[in-house]
Amino acid sequence: MRSLTLDRASFWYPAAESPALRGVSLDVAQGEVVALVGALGAGASTLLLVAADLAPRVTGGRLAGSVARHDRSGIVLPTPWTQSSGMAFTVWDEIAFGPANLGWPAHEIARQVDRALEQLQLAALKSRDPATLSGGELQRVIIAAILAMDPGLVLFDEPAAELDAETAGLLWRLIRLLASEGKAVLLATSALDAVPDVADRVVWLEDGAIRAVGTPDLLADVAACDAGLGTSVATVWRAGGLPAPYPLTVTHAVQRWQ
Amino acid sequence: MIPALCLEGVSFSYGTVPALENLSLSIAPGERVALLGRNGAGKSTVVRLVAGLQRPDQGTVWVGDWDTRGCVPEQLAWRVATVFQHADQQLFARTVRDDVSFGPRALGVGEREVERRTDRALEDLDLTVHAGHHPYDLPPALRKLAALAGALALEPALLVLDEPTIGLDRALRARVTRALLDRSAGSVALLVITHDLTFAAETLERGLVLDCGSLACDESLAGLLGDAKRLEPLGLAPPPVAALSAALDLPGRPVRAADVATALARVARGKPAP
Amino acid sequence: MSRLHPFTLLAIAGALPALAWILAAPVGGGWTATVALALTLTPGASPRVTSTGSSPGWRPGLVVLRTAVLTVAPFWLFLLLLHDVPTTIAIGLRITTMVASFVWLVATLEPARLVEAMVAAGWSASVAYLLAATLSAVPLLKARAQRIVEAQRCRGLSPRGGIGARLRALRALALPLVLSALHEVDERALALETRGLVPGIRRTPLAPPPDPAVERAVRWVLLLACLFALVRRFVVPGFS
Repeated sequence: MRSLTLDRASFWYPAAESPALRGVSLDVAQGEVVALVGALGAGASTLLLVAADLAPRVTGGRLAGSVARHDRSGIVLPTPWTQSSGMAFTVWDEIAFGPANLGWPAHEIARQVDRALEQLQLAALKSRDPATLSGGELQRVIIAAILAMDPGLVLFDEPAAELDAETAGLLWRLIRLLASEGKAVLLATSALDAVPDVADRVVWLEDGAIRAVGTPDLLADVAACDAGLGTSVATVWRAGGLPAPYPLTVTHAVQRWQ
Repeated sequence: MIPALCLEGVSFSYGTVPALENLSLSIAPGERVALLGRNGAGKSTVVRLVAGLQRPDQGTVWVGDWDTRGCVPEQLAWRVATVFQHADQQLFARTVRDDVSFGPRALGVGEREVERRTDRALEDLDLTVHAGHHPYDLPPALRKLAALAGALALEPALLVLDEPTIGLDRALRARVTRALLDRSAGSVALLVITHDLTFAAETLERGLVLDCGSLACDESLAGLLGDAKRLEPLGLAPPPVAALSAALDLPGRPVRAADVATALARVARGKPAP
Repeated sequence: MSRLHPFTLLAIAGALPALAWILAAPVGGGWTATVALALTLTPGASPRVTSTGSSPGWRPGLVVLRTAVLTVAPFWLFLLLLHDVPTTIAIGLRITTMVASFVWLVATLEPARLVEAMVAAGWSASVAYLLAATLSAVPLLKARAQRIVEAQRCRGLSPRGGIGARLRALRALALPLVLSALHEVDERALALETRGLVPGIRRTPLAPPPDPAVERAVRWVLLLACLFALVRRFVVPGFS
C-alpha cells in the first residue's frame, strides 16, 4: 500500500526563478526504505519538505503537480537544534512535546515516549536538560521526539550528520526496524556507504529532477562513480583501474576478488 | 624541539561531572592528529582547554611554550586557531573576504600581511570566486569553508578543528583535505576532531582515541583504521576503504584511497587471469 | 518563587508596573521599584547552572539584579539629559519597575509551565507557544551569544581596549547573533510545525501547575489594588 505518491511535482521557493524540484514522480510504499542521494542542492531537502506538507504550506512558494499522502508524516530536519521546542526541561518532556500537542491521552504519551527512549537508547539521558546535550545527543533526542508521534511516513534529512559511528549504526538498524513495522521511510543522506544496508531503493536527484531510480546497486554504476556518488568501495575499485561492474561493499569486493 | 601542543596530566570537570581524567599527549609541529572517540568522550573539552576558554582543574596545557593558565583566548589566537562546530554562525562581515581578514586584523598584523594571509586562505579553499559575496548568500556548506578560511588566515602554529566536514560533500571534503595537507607541510600542527574516519584516513596520520575522558589509544592511523577488533570497543568502525584493504590483505595495508587504488591495480595485474 | 503558578507570576509582573504608573510619583514609583528590584534577588530568580559552567565573579543570586540594573541604566542617562531631576526620578523609577519586573519574569517564568497553565485554562496551544516562545528565546539567544563571543575571542578579538576597539568588538558579537538568529527564524517556524502543532487539536496537559486558592486570591487582590489605585487617582481629585 502506497504511503506517499508524488506525480510530476515541481516546486518553486518564494521569489525563485528556477524550480527546486522539476517534475518529480515518486512513490514510497509502506514497509519500504527509499534513499535520496545527490549533490548538495540537488533538491533532496526540498523533496522531503514537500512530502511533509511543509512546502508550500509553511515555506511559501508554488507547487505544481500533485502530492498524495496516506499516512501522517513526521520529518527530522538536518538542523536538530532548530527543531527542539526550547521549552522542555528534560529530555522526557522534549520527546513528549509532540504527542502532547497531538492531544493524546497521558498513558498513550507515556507509552510512546518510553518506547522512543528505548529505540534510541536514550534512557540514561531522560532527565537531562536538552540545552546541555551535545550535537549528537540532541539529534538522537529529536529523532526520538518525531518517532514518538508515531508517523506512518517517516522523513529523515541527513539524520546521521552529527552522530558517531556507533550511534549511526544504531540509527540505520532502527530505520530497518521501522520499515519492518510497516512504516514508509524516505531518507536523504550523503552517507553513501551506509545506503546498501539501509535502503530498498535509491533515487538519484540532480538539479531538482530524478536522474535515476534503482536498487542500491545504482551506487556502483559507472555514472554514479563519475558524479562522485559511488560508494567508497566502488570508487576506489574504479580508481584502481579494475573492470566494471564495480563492487558495492567490502563483502561484494571480497567475492569479486576470488 | 618544543611540541606544538602538550597536555600534562590534565583533568577537568564541568561542576561535578568529570570530563577528562589525567590526560597526557603531545603533538609535534607539522603533525596531523585525529582526535577520535564516542560522543561525550571528552573531545570537545580538549578543544576548549586548548583554546584557553577553560582552565584545567589539574595538570597543564602547553601551547608551544605558553601555559594556557597564564593566557586569555585572544592571546592564544597568536599560536592556535580553533574552528568550533557551527562556526558558520560566527560570520558577520559584509563580504567573505572581510570576514576572513577579521582574524589577522584583530591580531594587529600589518595591512599588507593581512591581505596576503587572506588571499592565501581563500585560494587554499577555492573560495576566491566567492570573496565578494555576503556570507549569508552562500549555502551552509560554503559558509563552513569560509569559517575555516578565517582560521587559516590566522596562520597559527596549531590548527584545532571540531568536526570540519559535517555537511560537506565529497568534493568539498577533498578541498579541506588539500588545504590542511598543504598547511601541515609548512609545519602547522593539526588536531582534528572527526567521526568521519574516511576523511581522517585521507588527511591525518595519527589517531588519539578518547574513551570516558582518558586516552585509550595513541598510534598511527594506518595501523589503527583497518583493525575492527580494536575500534569496535571504542565505538568506532573501520572506514570502508581501510576495511577493504584489510579484507583483501593488500600489501602494506594502505588506508588512503589513492594508495589502496594503486595496491589494487598492482595486485590485480599480478593476479592470474580467471 | 518559580514554583508559583505562572498566572500569579504574570499578575505580579503586570501589577507592579501598573501601580508604578498609577500611584503618585515619586513615592509610588519608589515603592514599586524597590519591590521589583528586591524580587530579582529572590532565590527562584537565579539562573540554572549549565554544564558548561557559569561565569565566576558574580554570585548567582545577583545576576538577575545586575541584568536589570544594566538594562535600565541607559534610560536614566537619557532622562537626565532631557529632563530636570524631579521628573527624571519620577519617570526613572517607573521605568525601573517595568524593566526589573520584566527581567524578573523572564528569569522565573518557565515557558513550559506557562504553556501548561494556559492550555489547562483553555487557551489554544498555538497562542500559548507564541507567548512562551518569546520567553524561551532569551536563554537560547544567550547561549548562542556565549558561543559567538568564544569563537570571536579565539580569532583574536579582545573585549578590552579603547572605545573604538570596543565598538568593533560589539559589531563582531552582535551582528553574527542577529544575523544567525534572523536566518533561523524561518527554520524555527518550520520546526515547530513539525512537532505536531495542528490547529483545532487540544494539547494534552502533561503537568499542569497547581493553582492553590491562595494564589488565585492573591491575583484578584492585585487586580483590585490596581483598580482601586486607578479610581483613587483619577476619580477622586486632589491626589496627584
